[in-house]
Amino acid sequence: MDKPSHLSIVLDLSPKQWHLAAQPGSPHPITLATFLSHLLAFLNAHIACKDENSLAIFGALPGKSILLYSSAAPVDDGDTEPADANTYRPFKLMDSIIMKSITREIDALGEPETEEPIGFVGALTKALCYINRVTTSNTTSGDRGVDPATLPDPRILIISVSPDQSSSYISVMNSIFSAQKLASFDLFYQKVTIDVCKIFGAESVFLQQAAHLTGGSYIDVDRPDALLQYLMMSFLAPPGLRQLITVPTQDKIDFRAACFCHKNIVDIAFICSVCLSIFCSPVPVCSTCRTKFPIKTLQRLNASRPNTTPGTPRPPTPANSLPRSTSIAPQSLPRSTSIVPQSLPRNASNGASTLR
Amino acid sequence: MLDDEDEPSVRKVKGKGKATDGRKRDKGKSKAKEQPYAWEATYTRSWDTVQEDEAGSLQTTVRDLIARSRRRRLIGPASAIRRTIIRHLVLILDLSASMTDRDMRPTRFDLMLQYAREFVNEWFDQNPLGQIGIVGMRGGIGERIGEISSNPQDVLKAISERHKLEPAGEPSLQNAIDMARSGMRQEITIIFGSLTTCDPGNIHDTLDECVKDKIRISVVALAAEMKICRELCVKTGGQFGVALNEGHFKDLLFELIPPPAQRALARASGPGANPAADLMLMGFPTRLPATSPPGLCACHGELKSEGFLCPRCAAQVCDVPTDCAVCGLMIVSSPHLARSYHHLFPARPYHAVMALDEASAPSATCHACAAPFQEKASQAGAPASEGVSPLGRYRCSACARDFCADCDVFVHDVLHCCPGCGK
Amino acid sequence: METSSSDTPSHLLLAFLHSQSQTALTRLYQRPSACLSIFRLLGPLERQIVMNLLWLESVIPAATMAAWVPQDSRQAYEHSLSILSRLHLLPRSAAKLALNSTLKTGLRHAIVGGGSSGSFGVPANSDESHPPPSVETLDAYALERWETILHYMVSSGTGRSPTKPSQAVLVLLQRSGLMASVHGGALQITSLGFQFLLHPPHAQLWELLLQYLRMVEERQMDLVEVLSFLFMLSTMELGREYSVEHLSATQTAMLEDLRDYGIIWQRKTSPTRFCPTRLATTLTSSSPPLPTAAGVTSSSQAQGFIILETNYRLYAYTDNPLQTAVLNLFVSLKSRFPNLVVGAITRESVKKALANGITADQIISYLTTHAHPQMRKNKPLLPVTVQDQIRLWELEKNRMKSQEGYLYTAFASQADYEYVLHYAKQLGVVLWESSPRRCFFGTLEGHPNIRGFIERRTAGHA
Repeated sequence: MDKPSHLSIVLDLSPKQWHLAAQPGSPHPITLATFLSHLLAFLNAHIACKDENSLAIFGALPGKSILLYSSAAPVDDGDTEPADANTYRPFKLMDSIIMKSITREIDALGEPETEEPIGFVGALTKALCYINRVTTSNTTSGDRGVDPATLPDPRILIISVSPDQSSSYISVMNSIFSAQKLASFDLFYQKVTIDVCKIFGAESVFLQQAAHLTGGSYIDVDRPDALLQYLMMSFLAPPGLRQLITVPTQDKIDFRAACFCHKNIVDIAFICSVCLSIFCSPVPVCSTCRTKFPIKTLQRLNASRPNTTPGTPRPPTPANSLPRSTSIAPQSLPRSTSIVPQSLPRNASNGASTLR
Repeated sequence: MLDDEDEPSVRKVKGKGKATDGRKRDKGKSKAKEQPYAWEATYTRSWDTVQEDEAGSLQTTVRDLIARSRRRRLIGPASAIRRTIIRHLVLILDLSASMTDRDMRPTRFDLMLQYAREFVNEWFDQNPLGQIGIVGMRGGIGERIGEISSNPQDVLKAISERHKLEPAGEPSLQNAIDMARSGMRQEITIIFGSLTTCDPGNIHDTLDECVKDKIRISVVALAAEMKICRELCVKTGGQFGVALNEGHFKDLLFELIPPPAQRALARASGPGANPAADLMLMGFPTRLPATSPPGLCACHGELKSEGFLCPRCAAQVCDVPTDCAVCGLMIVSSPHLARSYHHLFPARPYHAVMALDEASAPSATCHACAAPFQEKASQAGAPASEGVSPLGRYRCSACARDFCADCDVFVHDVLHCCPGCGK
Repeated sequence: METSSSDTPSHLLLAFLHSQSQTALTRLYQRPSACLSIFRLLGPLERQIVMNLLWLESVIPAATMAAWVPQDSRQAYEHSLSILSRLHLLPRSAAKLALNSTLKTGLRHAIVGGGSSGSFGVPANSDESHPPPSVETLDAYALERWETILHYMVSSGTGRSPTKPSQAVLVLLQRSGLMASVHGGALQITSLGFQFLLHPPHAQLWELLLQYLRMVEERQMDLVEVLSFLFMLSTMELGREYSVEHLSATQTAMLEDLRDYGIIWQRKTSPTRFCPTRLATTLTSSSPPLPTAAGVTSSSQAQGFIILETNYRLYAYTDNPLQTAVLNLFVSLKSRFPNLVVGAITRESVKKALANGITADQIISYLTTHAHPQMRKNKPLLPVTVQDQIRLWELEKNRMKSQEGYLYTAFASQADYEYVLHYAKQLGVVLWESSPRRCFFGTLEGHPNIRGFIERRTAGHA
């Protein structure tokens, strides 16, 4: 049970979002520097738990993704950091490498007019590929006969500040499924747990699903000063230990999806029966498999649709899109109101701060 | 022995050699090659292709062979073809006395149960909105073992209790097929270990009924080919195969997992051809945690805290997929749908890099897993024509990044999304 | 290394620390390196509890923490809490949970840096004329030292005379009961010693170090200094030289001992600096502490070299005399090749091992841990027939059971006999009876009652 564990971190480094997060007007202001100091303490704690624990950090930057640090990579012995009697040297080396690579990448960004979408999918898929490499006793690299018991337990921690990119819906879902499947080639079934730490920004539908489907936890940090405690309580324990001491998980999981036609996140959609493509409005021909739909269906669906004009994006929050049908079950009313406070106070506090 | 082919007789003939006669072998057995016996499996005549490297070691060659065999699977059609995604399958298991034979280890019966479990798991992964029912053939009748269900756990539970499925008596194809095709079923897959069938009437009538109902029957035989089995498959458009050994058995069974291309549709891809194709309205719910305040569910009227909220009317339902009891909306979990999208948008295949182009400043490590590439081409000397890169580099044509062989396989088999371009 | 069972802590050393006073432990926790090392020796659940509490400034009610523990793992949780409180990391059975403040400071310093204790070792300035030794040199040195000790032990009974380890090591071996001098003669390995040989290297190392710690008091050394030096070594970097200047007198005195065990390396010409070897730096981890047999480059040795077949034949891919000697304890070796030893497990060879005090479970666990990677594909790893047979051979040894008691005989009449026997049976103390001979055997515990009964009876007759 006391197996080494591998932690891959997908770190969202969108400059724009971090800038917004650091604004005093944001609900829970936190700067990137403060955050990184908490994160480094967390990473040190991960390595401190067991000497064999391994770590890889993938950065998601505008338009690209990159491996920032890997504990498997050989340390280039430039002796940049003088040895010091007061710190544990592996920690010091790791911290300095991580900080250097993050600084290097952010400096290299420059100041473009518009920020490209961040390479979140790239970072996530790379993390999976990396885990695939370290956990499967791969035949091609020549490491024959590695005892599967000594292979590390893998998991992924996503640290997110950006909103969902609906265009990457399919890719994110594919990643989730491969995380579920990964390592199931082995004799014993295990999956890669995906934990999500949402530092800033609206609730992420896709990441909620990712955490739910892989048995991880989704934490929306609402007290940045206690960030370290969040990290330690929720994300330090490897999956095996979480049966003994449970970790906080999310309340609601939003199963909404993104449509293929306008990349809107929808809660009610039109599905092609042949290929299961999702559309936000009735279309005569499926754009994916070229199936033509019967005209009667189109008329029926158009008639029964809620009164939104075709093509307009559905309001993202389910609370707003609830047509009050006559026969609402009695228990549904408090429920729907309980959804609202999640989004309302935040808007209200935003509004309040701008008013002042 | 070969005469068996023409008369599905009651004669019991054992042994595997006969099933491998070239004439009898089926199209679905490309992987088996000419291996009549289990102990002749693995690399056939591998010594012909093996060459020592400069250090006199065989390791590079062996690695090369493995890489090649893994890669062979990847070379397939790149374009998205239309498949049925909502499938209904009945899996018919032979539970007759012939399954206690030990020619497959540990016994045919245990192996079948093990593979059936793996089959169900994999099948639901690839056919998210499908349903599976299980029927057993035992003592001359068909037995309903698992009701048709869309929940993998239910199906697995049905075949998990070994002692309830102890093989006995004679099988009856006709009874089992008749039981399986009651209701609206599209496909029947039969695992058949016996060489006899003990039927109450004319099985050809049953076959004609199946053809009429457009039910596709596939058979994986464990003993030898029987003419009636082949006929069932050929006439209904299914696949037939005789398992040579344990591995081949699994291959045959797993070939039935991917959704079959809809031939009928492809032929008539003209205007408005498919009467079954339709646009459906579905809702994606919100899941309530166990810690939420309990509410009455709309389906059973019970007080529950866990459940799903209908996105249209906010009624609480116990389980998905279902139709909302209040507003009638079909509620599905969107991940269920998304499970099948990799069929629609497969990752673009990578092409093998044959030689390094100095001008492009190649990266030193794999773009996905950061494993370093080997410096120079492997000296295995085998012709590098089969899509195997001598450098161990595979390049995405969209983003022009290099990936290692492990990641190549992983990306296309599991991930279905290129880490370089995210498509 | 050890799997945590229900009542023992996860590491040998923790049991030792439990017996130490609170003041000694608190002094120990002042050093971040010691905090880190002890933290690593804890079990996974204990580590998580410590980490959950480490960053809290205030005390939290125990109930809050317990709310995170599901009902069925409550027992494991309580057990972890008791381990922590015995280490004086947590207050014993209080309603509030808070970490020992000394440890809290120390561990925080270890993780985020800071402090000025210098507990991770002061590196020596680089010396142009003496470059630090390469990792290979250190590994070879550590291996040579360690195998000298083991080899001395294993061949002590055979009459051959391998190189003797230093006097200090011999004393340690004798004191720990691994070797004993018979009739004042040369040291002979004891049955404890045979068991020791079959342990994994990590456990061996800690067993010796624990014995060393137990001897510390009588040598007038400060236990805390010794412990903290060991922990400092475990957090040092392999292949780096450290200065002895900042060490206390006790610690400087330890240098020589540790050098004999192969835990540190020192150049003869420069006694002011030292290098930890892999034995030292892996003290608190579970990676292999020994760099495998000398000269063998592949890591396959670390993963095992033994192939055992169902016909009791055993093939060991090794050229290491120590490994061969250890195998010789319970295998009858048939032939030796440059890299292969062939033998068979026979009744005689196992009985010899059992006579030496080795248990069947130890043999089986040795074979399991050193199984060749090829064997790992088997399930179960070792052939069941062989495992069962070894256990049966052990049972053969235990065919006779002795029990103290009293024989009651010479009853006057059959009725007398039966009357007493009936009483004894009611008490459940009869072990054996023979009606024709009118005698039975009762346990020691039952004797006073039976005697009293007989006496009362005879008195009644009289």
